[in-house]
Amino acid sequence: MLQEPQSGGLPVPQAEGEKDGGHEGETQALTVSQEALRPLLQESTKEDLAAVREEGAAASAPTRKGARASAAKALTRRRASRRLNRTVAEMVQFLLVKDKKKSPITRFEVVKYVIGDLKDLFPEIIAGAAEHLRYVFGFELKQLDRKHHTYILINKLKPLEEEEEEDLGDGPRLGLLMMILGLIYMKGNSAREAQVWEMLRRLGVHPSKYHFLFGYPKRLIMEDFVQLRYLNYRRVPSTSPPEYEFSWGPRSNLEISKMKVLGFVAKLHKKEPQHWPAQYREALADEADRARAEASMRARTRGRARASARASLRRW
Amino acid sequence: MQGSARRMGIMTDVHRRFLQLLMTHGVLEERDVKRLQKHCYEVHDRNATVEKLEDFINNINSVLESLYIEIKKGVTEDDGRPFYALVNLATTSVSKMATDFAENELDLFRKALELIIDSETGFASSTNILNLVDQLKGKKMRKKEAEQVLQKFVQNKWLIEKEGEFTLHGRAILEMEQYIRETYPDATKMCNICHRLLIQGQSCETCGIRMHLPCVAKYFQSNPEPHCPHCNDYWPHEIPEVFDPEKEREAGISKLNKKSLRYRQH
Repeated sequence: MLQEPQSGGLPVPQAEGEKDGGHEGETQALTVSQEALRPLLQESTKEDLAAVREEGAAASAPTRKGARASAAKALTRRRASRRLNRTVAEMVQFLLVKDKKKSPITRFEVVKYVIGDLKDLFPEIIAGAAEHLRYVFGFELKQLDRKHHTYILINKLKPLEEEEEEDLGDGPRLGLLMMILGLIYMKGNSAREAQVWEMLRRLGVHPSKYHFLFGYPKRLIMEDFVQLRYLNYRRVPSTSPPEYEFSWGPRSNLEISKMKVLGFVAKLHKKEPQHWPAQYREALADEADRARAEASMRARTRGRARASARASLRRW
Repeated sequence: MQGSARRMGIMTDVHRRFLQLLMTHGVLEERDVKRLQKHCYEVHDRNATVEKLEDFINNINSVLESLYIEIKKGVTEDDGRPFYALVNLATTSVSKMATDFAENELDLFRKALELIIDSETGFASSTNILNLVDQLKGKKMRKKEAEQVLQKFVQNKWLIEKEGEFTLHGRAILEMEQYIRETYPDATKMCNICHRLLIQGQSCETCGIRMHLPCVAKYFQSNPEPHCPHCNDYWPHEIPEVFDPEKEREAGISKLNKKSLRYRQH
């Protein structure tokens, strides 16, 4: 059976290896907060030990049908929760690999390739995976499109300063993307395809000529960037012959701001962002919108936390 | 609380950044890993003391355990350089679908793998691999395309190419050792010293036992008359040097100086 590691994406053939061990965290219900997970882990271990004792008792007294039945039940429970944990782990790997390839993940794919017949547990599995992604890797699982149930991963670690940024191979490509996003923004949030290629040609980048940093630029821009939702590509209405234009895609709006892009463009021209008053005003408005959205989100989360805290107090 | 804290390590942004970057590279040489670790501390926790790399990684691995992945340390077969790779611990059907490679590409890799394992030197020639292109499962692949796929494997660090011949990258050996030993038990070669899977190495011409080059280097270090540990016959091959990270650094610095000169000329 072929299998894929975290990186590089080669499914590596490996023999089936069941990882056994009581520390696997045999939680039956996955909750979102890590702190909530820990007491559950401890609880289920006690349950586990009890099951083992029951099994032992059942083995030594075969006539005690009741003991055997409860031992069997405990075994089934353990198997089910181990399977659930396994599925959550597979989900995490699936999401990481898909995100590395930079393709948005659909709920359909997730159910088809990972969850299978555990479909009813989809919310628990996705919540468990989201928690692992947050705690272990620092990624936030975000729903990109409420209608089509697509997900992406956003990096929650603090963004690196330019001096701190290491060249990770992705660097040149994202640099090219920045150039395009910059052009789009400065042209009033959309740029004709012809304009984009003209700018790139001036940089020595031609659509179908192999580039040592970007590969085939046409494929990178028209396929990869569009598929990744960094760019939107659509036909300009009432143009004949048909013309196409680029605009920022939803992922760009999530991952970068107008102010940052304006700053990038300004640096390129060795000027200040204020040099372009219209764009500067627009960027300021965008910053205000983002701040407002973040504040209301924080208030909502605080409210939710307060509500759940109140609820749990009531239970006692 | 104490019990679970011991079972699972603690992740901070330092560890998370490290893991993210390691994931991006896939496999990284030890000296780059050390630099990466330092970089993560500088970005997220400037005042903390940098933890010893082994402990740092063990901490992360204890957290990764429940996700069936691990940061494993290996050693390159040709010159004994230590490296780290993120490795999957269990098979999942998921990965088959989420793959970067098509069915015929995977089959090409499998064919190359078999040739490599069967070979005496641990290398399979490009010609021999490409001749098997007609036998591949999935969509028909032409030889030209197969050449590019092989290059993709090299770029993604699954294969190494040397003068038109291919062998397994250390990372592939690390990840696939169990699979290879179980799937090709008769063809698999083992090192007499470390008892791990052997693809490239030296062999005794009398009794046929094999040893990895870095294992040879360590075993016969400063031994003027090396003899086979199994049959005691004279060991006929050149004994390689033990990998020394210090010497590497000096070599690296002189390389850098040459590079900077080139740029200044422009």
